[in-house]
Amino acid sequence: MKQLNPAHVIAGAIFFILTVAAVLSAAYIVPEGRQAIITQFGRPVGDPVTSAGLYAKLPFIQDVQLVDKRIKTWDGYPNQIPTRDKKYIIVDTTARWRIHDALKFIQTVQNERGAKARLDAILDAVVRDTISNHNLVEAVRNTNAILDYIQERAVEAQKKVASGSILVAEEEEITGEIEKIQTGREALSGLIAKKAAEELQAFGITVIDVQLRRIAYESSVEKKVYDRMISERKRIAEKIRSIGKGEQAKIQGKTSRDLQRIDSEAYRKAQLTKGKAEAESISIYAKSLSQDRKFFEFTRTLDAYKKSMKDDTQFILSTDSSFLNLFNKGT
Amino acid sequence: MSFTSQNGGRGGRGSDFGNLPDEFRRIIETIQDNLHFILFGIGALLLLITIFSSFYTVQPSEEAVIIRFGKYQETNPPGLHFKLPFGIDDAIKVKTKLVFQEEFGFRSSDHSGDETSYEKGNFDKESQMLTGDLNVADVEWIVQYQISDPRKFLFAAQDPKQNIRDVSEAIMRRVVGDRTVNEILTTGRVAIATEAHRLTQEVLDKYDLGIRVVTIKLQDVNPPELVKPSFNEVNAAKQEQEQAINMAESAYNKVIPEARGKAEETLSEAEGYATAIVNRSKGDAERFHLTLQEYRREPDVTRKRLYLETMEELFGRFKKLTIVDDKIKGVLPLFGNKLLESKPQEVTEK
Repeated sequence: MKQLNPAHVIAGAIFFILTVAAVLSAAYIVPEGRQAIITQFGRPVGDPVTSAGLYAKLPFIQDVQLVDKRIKTWDGYPNQIPTRDKKYIIVDTTARWRIHDALKFIQTVQNERGAKARLDAILDAVVRDTISNHNLVEAVRNTNAILDYIQERAVEAQKKVASGSILVAEEEEITGEIEKIQTGREALSGLIAKKAAEELQAFGITVIDVQLRRIAYESSVEKKVYDRMISERKRIAEKIRSIGKGEQAKIQGKTSRDLQRIDSEAYRKAQLTKGKAEAESISIYAKSLSQDRKFFEFTRTLDAYKKSMKDDTQFILSTDSSFLNLFNKGT
Repeated sequence: MSFTSQNGGRGGRGSDFGNLPDEFRRIIETIQDNLHFILFGIGALLLLITIFSSFYTVQPSEEAVIIRFGKYQETNPPGLHFKLPFGIDDAIKVKTKLVFQEEFGFRSSDHSGDETSYEKGNFDKESQMLTGDLNVADVEWIVQYQISDPRKFLFAAQDPKQNIRDVSEAIMRRVVGDRTVNEILTTGRVAIATEAHRLTQEVLDKYDLGIRVVTIKLQDVNPPELVKPSFNEVNAAKQEQEQAINMAESAYNKVIPEARGKAEETLSEAEGYATAIVNRSKGDAERFHLTLQEYRREPDVTRKRLYLETMEELFGRFKKLTIVDDKIKGVLPLFGNKLLESKPQEVTEK
């Protein structure tokens, strides 16, 4: 083996290491879902690299900064907000956003933590403004379909009552008027998203959407709502009971009415039948007996004697009586 | 140092720490002696790594997404596949056949291993929602979904699962918010689930997350705990109402048919009486007519005869008959004085 000059060996080694370092420093990978910005001494160079793959840059003097380009989630802190109709509610919103201008993003907010601070500030304010500019129902309901539903039910119930088919209790009880909405939940979150998007544009951030994830009554209001629900249910229960009692009374009344009607009708018909028969009887007797009044009187009297005098009668007979005429005088 | 012997593939000698240069020389000598062995070992190791890092298996429930230098290449079905080694190609396996489930308002305990980063125990905040008539309902539901496009699932969003949860909660509240509490608690269940399914899918499609919602099912739907008793009271009242009506109806059914029967009885009786009275009078009239005809032939004799026959019958069956003669004074009949004053004619006495 040839003896190597140690200086050559060292120079060669340094050159080799430098070459490897240069190659490694020149190549960079942009993964899927990311984009890259090349900076030269801290100053951005060229357009951001937005598609994934293996890329090259100037070694050592240029740096790569990777920026997410996926959909990101912003989770808002549940805020207590009064609505326009002075109802205190807790609104919990979430938003989906993405970095659409990596350069602007890097320049204005630097990183995701910085972005979150801006998102918090802007979205919270926009949500607060929007909610407090609308009535509670606008945030709860999306359409006015509920009004149609209630009307439909009412008509249906009326029909059922009118047709007399069972139905006594099956009515929807709704407290107070159901307000008509102008905007609705979806449009409201759209409004929030639009306003927030305008303001966040400057940070290279696109707001995809804002969702009103949860809307709840503030705890002291919640209690009142529960009390109202309870009293409402109690009222419905009472109404159902009293309708039941009313129905019961109705049926009892019907019972008594039908009973008296049946009894009296029977009595009337019976009397009528009897009367007719008696009248006929009178006419038969009158027609027949008027043929000979005296004979009738005679025979009828005899019959009456026979019938009215019982076997155990004690009888005193005077000798003057016509029956004893012969007995007395002889022939 | 003992690792030298491993490198050389031979048994190590006892180390002598007091004589380091000697030790080094010996190591170098050993390496030089066994250089071809060492090279062979390294080569074999490299080969093994190459082989192992250039194929992969995809399980039947999975699909594999291939990434080359961070860039998406292709999606491969289950089976054995080859890729470029040394981390040039990377295979990410995604369970596309599996149905995942997200639970809202409750957590099933057998999934304790799942990474649900929510406070344990009380999920009321998730399930309590405002209804269209500004009441509160406690709605629990599940969302089942599949990964329909593994590439989108992996790269479209930072946290797809969180997005599914957020969207599902927002949609469920929107759907419930358009209904009355009664509808939600009773007839609306299926319609709510169907609409939530449709809308959730719509929103997720807008995000293009590569997720297909398989089903959304409502679980327990209740009024809030505090209000529950009063809802039960309404049900109890319905029962009471039915009971009251049933009782009244049974009383009606007990009384009225009997009364109808009695009414018919009265009528029949009256009809019987009528028939009887008419027949009797007809009979009497016929009898009178017949007797009258015969009587008219010999009225005097017949009168006499009828009179006598009647008297005969009457006096014949009387228990006691007293005959009084006015001309005989001082005879006291058994009856006492006042009877003596009675007129000498037929008098009935009891």
